[in-house]
Amino acid sequence: MTDPSGSRIGEDLGLGFLVPAIGDADAEGRRRVHPITPIVHGVTAVPVAALLAFAWGGGLLSTLGLGAFAAGMVVVVVIGSAVTAWSYLAWRNLYYWFDGDGDFRVDSGVITRRQRRLQLSRLQAVDVAQPLFARLFSMAEVTIEVAGSGDSRVRLRYLRLADARALRNEVVARAAGLRPEAGEAPEVSIATVSPRDLAISLAMRTVTAGLLLVTVLLLVATVLSQGWSGLAIALVTGGVPILIVVAEFIRYYRFTVSDSPDGLRLRFGLARTETRTVPPGRVQAIEFVEPWLWRRWGWMRLRVTIAGVGGDDGNSGNRETLLMPVATRDIALTVVHRLMPGLDLDALDWHPAPGRARRRSPIQWSRLAVAWDGLVLAARRGRVTRRLAFVPHARTQSVRVTQGPWERSLDLATVHVDVTPGPVRVVGLHLDALFARQVADAQAERARRARGSDTSIRWAARD
Amino acid sequence: MESAFTCEEGWSPVSPRLISARRITLVLCYVLVVAGVVVLFVVPDVPRWVAYAAVGIAAAVLIWMWWLIGRRVRSFGYAERGDDLLVTSGILFRRLVIVPYGRMQLVDVKAGPIDRWLGITTVQLHTAAATTDASIPGLVPEDAVALRDRLARRGEERSAGL
Repeated sequence: MTDPSGSRIGEDLGLGFLVPAIGDADAEGRRRVHPITPIVHGVTAVPVAALLAFAWGGGLLSTLGLGAFAAGMVVVVVIGSAVTAWSYLAWRNLYYWFDGDGDFRVDSGVITRRQRRLQLSRLQAVDVAQPLFARLFSMAEVTIEVAGSGDSRVRLRYLRLADARALRNEVVARAAGLRPEAGEAPEVSIATVSPRDLAISLAMRTVTAGLLLVTVLLLVATVLSQGWSGLAIALVTGGVPILIVVAEFIRYYRFTVSDSPDGLRLRFGLARTETRTVPPGRVQAIEFVEPWLWRRWGWMRLRVTIAGVGGDDGNSGNRETLLMPVATRDIALTVVHRLMPGLDLDALDWHPAPGRARRRSPIQWSRLAVAWDGLVLAARRGRVTRRLAFVPHARTQSVRVTQGPWERSLDLATVHVDVTPGPVRVVGLHLDALFARQVADAQAERARRARGSDTSIRWAARD
Repeated sequence: MESAFTCEEGWSPVSPRLISARRITLVLCYVLVVAGVVVLFVVPDVPRWVAYAAVGIAAAVLIWMWWLIGRRVRSFGYAERGDDLLVTSGILFRRLVIVPYGRMQLVDVKAGPIDRWLGITTVQLHTAAATTDASIPGLVPEDAVALRDRLARRGEERSAGL
C-alpha cells in the first residue's frame, strides 16, 4: 500500500493553463488574491446557469428550435458575466496580510465591509483545496480556521497553487512561532491507499456489503419468480450503496498520508483535491474500526476527533474526521505513532468485562474491555465491527459512569470518557460496577496529572 | 466505596423546593391532558367507557409522576472534592459525572420563572466536551452563586488548554 516513489504528493492536477504570477504586496504589505479569480468564478457559474436555462427553456426548445437555444446561451452568458462582475468587485475589496501583532487580517465585502482578525495562536487548520473548475486554471483555495464557535474561518480564493502553498506554510510557520520565511516543511510519505484497495474496502463495509447481498438475492428471486415487483426494491437496495461507494471513492481517491514537521498531511480526491493537516496537538481521540469483511486483509479505518473539527455545528463537508479510509495494522500504527509518540497498544493490559456481561450483550461481551497506560485510556467494543478507541489522559474532559436498569440487575456499569465533539466515542461498556467507578476515579486523577506535564500543544518544539 | 455511585465525602443534596418546581411544571402540562379528556366527554361519538378509561390512565400517570419527581430530585447530589466535582442523579438510569476543575470552561447559573418564584437556581458546568452532562438543579441562589465562584476560582488555578 505504500507508495515508494512518493513523488506524486501534492502534484498539481490542473490542466495547466499557465497563469502568470501577480505582483507583490502593496506598500502596507497587503496582498490580494489572484486577479483571475472573477473569471474562475464566472466559469464555475456556467454549468449551473446552463442547467437553469435549459430546465426552464427546455420545453420551448422543441417548438422554437434554434431561437430558444440562442436565448438559453444568452441567459448563460448574462449569468456568467454577472457573477464575474460581482466577483470582480469582491476581488477589488479583498485584502489579506499579516499585521504587526502577528495576526492574520482579512478585509473583504462589497456592500457590507468586513474586517477580520485571526489570532494565529488559535490556529486549528489551514487547508489547500483545488475545486474542479479552479483546477482548470491550476488555482487553489486556502481555508484558514481558528478556534472559536460559529464562523471562525476564512476562505481565500483563488490563488495560484504555488502561492496557496506558500501562504499555507507561512501561516503554519507563524502559528508555530517559527520565522515566517522558514519555508515549506519537508514531507515524507507514509502511506498511499491504492485505488484497488479503496474500492474493495468501500464495497466490503458491513452495511454496504449487506445491502449488495440483499440486492443480489432480490434479483435472483425476481428472475426465478418472474414477478418483477422486486426490481424496484433492488434498485434502492443496490443503488444507494453503489452511489455511496462511488462518492467516497471519488472523495478519497489516492488518499496519501505524509509526515511533515507541522503535522500529518492528508491529500485526497479525484474531482476536488484536498489537503488537510492534522496537527498532533489538536488530536483528542483516535479510533480503529475493523468491519467484519475487512479482517481477511487485516484492514482498518482510522477515525479521529480533532478539536474544533467534526462537531455538530457548521457544514460537515469540510470537516474531515477520517485519518485513513483503509490501512493495514502496521501502517495504522505508524500513523498513530506519529500523532501520539510513545504509544504502545500491544503492551496494554486489558481488563475485560465480567462473564455476566454476556446476559447484557450476548454478541460483543467477550470483546468488551478497557485498558490504560501512562499515556492513554483505551476501550474496545463490537464483535462484527470491531472498534478500538483511545484518548490521551491529557485530552480527557470529564468522566461519566452510567447504569441502566438491565445493567443494574447484573451489577454492571459503563464508563464514558468525554472528549470534544467528534466521531470517536471512548466508552467501556458493561464493566463490573465497582470496577467501572474505580476506573472513572482513577481516570480523572490521571487526567489531572497528565495536564500538568502535557507538551503536545507545543508539538513544534518537540525533538 | 461500597457501590459505584457512592462518595466518601458524602453527597450534598439539592433543595426540596425543586420537587415543588417540577410538580408545578407537571401540573401545568396536565392542563393540556385535562383539556383532552374533557373533549372526550363532550364529543358525542366517543363511548363513555373510553372517556372514563382516559381519566383513569391520566390520573394513574399523574400519581406515578408525582411520586417519581420526589424520588428523582432526592437522587440528585453533588460533591466538591479536592481536584474535581462529582454530580450524580437518576433512579432507573443512574449516572455520575466527574469533572476535573481544570477542565471547566464556563459555569452557568440560570433560573426560569417558576424557579425564581420558588427561589432556586441551576448551576451548569461546561467543558470542551458536549457530552459532559453536569448540571446541578435546585440550589438556593446564595449557594449557587457561592458554588459558581468557588468552581470558577478552582478552574482558574488549574486551567489548561484543550
